[in-house]
Amino acid sequence: MKARLVARLDNMSGNSSADGPQDSQIVVPGDNLGQFGRFEAGHGVLIKNNTLLATKNGKLMIDDNVLSIEPLHTTYTPRPSDLVIGYVEGCTNNIWFIDIGAPFNAILPMSLGPSKASFGSTRQVLDIGEAILCRVQEVEETHSSVVTMKGMGLRKISTGSIDEIDPHLIGNLSKNNNKLLREIKEESDCRIITTHNGRIWIDGDVSGIIKARNKLKNLSKNYNLLTDGGNE
Amino acid sequence: MTIPMVSKLLRNHLRELALNDQRIDGRGRWEGRDVSLEVDILDRAEGSAKVTMGDTIVYAGVKFQLMTPYPDRPNEGGLMCGAEVRPVAGRNWEAGPPSAESIELGRVVDRGIRESGCIDVNSLCIIPGEKAWQVILDLFAISDDGNLFDAFALAAIAALKTAIVPCEKFEVGEDYPLSVSKTPIMCSYHKVGNRFVYDANAQEELGGDERIHITLGDDNHVHSLQKGLKGIFSADEFAEIMERAKIKSSELRKLVDSVLGD
Amino acid sequence: MGGYGDIQMIDENGLRMDGRTATQVRPITIETGVVPVADGSCRMTWGTNDVIVAIYGPMEAHPRKIQRQDRAVLDVRYNMAPFSTSDRIRPGFNRRSREISKVTADALESVVLLELYPRSKIRVEIEVLCAEAGTRCVGLTAASVALADAGIPMSDLVVSVASGKVNDVVVCDLNKEEDNYGEADLPMGVLPNSGELVFLQMDGDLSPEEFQTAWDYNIQAASEIHKIMVESLRKGGVD
Repeated sequence: MKARLVARLDNMSGNSSADGPQDSQIVVPGDNLGQFGRFEAGHGVLIKNNTLLATKNGKLMIDDNVLSIEPLHTTYTPRPSDLVIGYVEGCTNNIWFIDIGAPFNAILPMSLGPSKASFGSTRQVLDIGEAILCRVQEVEETHSSVVTMKGMGLRKISTGSIDEIDPHLIGNLSKNNNKLLREIKEESDCRIITTHNGRIWIDGDVSGIIKARNKLKNLSKNYNLLTDGGNE
Repeated sequence: MTIPMVSKLLRNHLRELALNDQRIDGRGRWEGRDVSLEVDILDRAEGSAKVTMGDTIVYAGVKFQLMTPYPDRPNEGGLMCGAEVRPVAGRNWEAGPPSAESIELGRVVDRGIRESGCIDVNSLCIIPGEKAWQVILDLFAISDDGNLFDAFALAAIAALKTAIVPCEKFEVGEDYPLSVSKTPIMCSYHKVGNRFVYDANAQEELGGDERIHITLGDDNHVHSLQKGLKGIFSADEFAEIMERAKIKSSELRKLVDSVLGD
Repeated sequence: MGGYGDIQMIDENGLRMDGRTATQVRPITIETGVVPVADGSCRMTWGTNDVIVAIYGPMEAHPRKIQRQDRAVLDVRYNMAPFSTSDRIRPGFNRRSREISKVTADALESVVLLELYPRSKIRVEIEVLCAEAGTRCVGLTAASVALADAGIPMSDLVVSVASGKVNDVVVCDLNKEEDNYGEADLPMGVLPNSGELVFLQMDGDLSPEEFQTAWDYNIQAASEIHKIMVESLRKGGVD
């Protein structure tokens, strides 16, 4: 009886790898993407028993011989040098804690702040609830990160509005030399800065901000539709 | 419920929008989000409804229990209404015993229904002093994108109106529909950017101030009021939203009637 | 058994009270993205079971004592809405829910790549709105779909299904009456691509032969259910 108890599932998923993985096909976790060797594992792909497995729900991308998955939904994971928008969530005498939309708050040490602050006066420089444009300086093994405001254009954000879209959609806005982004900027007459954590700073007059926001909202919806259509 | 950090930029932006008579999602000041109401959707409940208002989604379910009437009111059954916002509904809602916010939600909805007299508690009595029905209305949020109050109240009255008293199950006669004579409707107004708006979404709630809930009956009689959160308002402001609530509640009452087909 | 042996739940043609054959699973629908404010979500109806799962995270694990330095923890909560059963359930602490939450977490932890998110937690909120029988299977299956919808990396989905014995006949996917008056129940959680198991419970009385049949029924049903799960995820929550 022991031997019979081994569950044998032949081609259970109905997703045979016989034809090999197809570019742009939508994969789900556990999908067999073929033998390791023919392809290498990129983002979202796992090697198990010499077989490539999808670990995410998303669009399969084949680049040369690397298989990777562009997920349909993501949460932000910080990487060094990412431009991000953060909110000050708390502070001590010499450190600010910044919500950058990642699982963990980032740290902004006083020395990397926007201007000289004396010990104990962090709140006068950046108060809780304020927004900043900053850069990820360092990400630790345990996913804690340090952000900096030393750098060109990095600053406190005190006008306009901040909207959010899924972080992986940001890349789409800047495709073809910022085509979409330029369109929105022209139509709304707003300054728009997109950041890696999916937050978008829109600054201009109120009617412009509304226009830009609606545009972005539609885009984020239509992107999903496009991905879906790509599967047909 | 954990109160998240409030962005100063969001508050400023909401104020600026208000000055320009605009809202963050493009709605008019007194305009609600799209509302959908479905009834009789849960097989195990004796009456049920699901309300979707934008991205806010709630369910209401009615169950019945037999109770012994209270000695001072031997001819009356009971109505119990509770709201539960479990952590499924948003990242700020936590597990554990009901939060103050959940309890407030349940009690405000309860008062609107109870005080409207839409359920005749005497009709719930089976044997005076011995046996009566207790109607239990449970409100359950699935997705909180603001204004759970109105969504709960709408789901509550619709669920009651579809409820069947399960006499056969309890062996006390034949099943019959619960009699609900009126349609109390709650309308909630939030102070956002220094002015009241109807049906605030989560962003407006977060960046706004006080809120006022008004429950009106069929004849525009007021059945419950609640002012919540920090904030000060004037009598004129209140008079204005009261007029708006009369218009809005009759619209929503029509929706309930059309869904229930009477 | 238990005085219910005289209830005839399988007819002379081998059909069950709801008209299914022994191996037939109740109708299933899966829809993703049903909780707009969540990071991932899924609604699964299975017979008259109606279950909603929402995922939040990964986020910092609180309180700090639950943090694991080398991996994420899954914070699974299985709960039945007060109106989800024929007799109302009082909200609040419940031993049954706790146990199901735990075994569900144990099952999902075997497939989620937790080591990618040290010190984090991922919240898995399973809410049963309408219960018919087999809600733990629905919850686990739906949770794996919701996790995939949230973009959480996993080595496989989990398909959970139960078979059991009714009137001495082994049948797959027990409905309410069969669950109440049946003689055995064997819920399993199967990894559809490898055929390995991550969840197993059983109660009742099965001969070795019956046990093998129930096991095989589950494996077979898991394959069918997996197709529906994949289909729902390929749609990506967009109609």
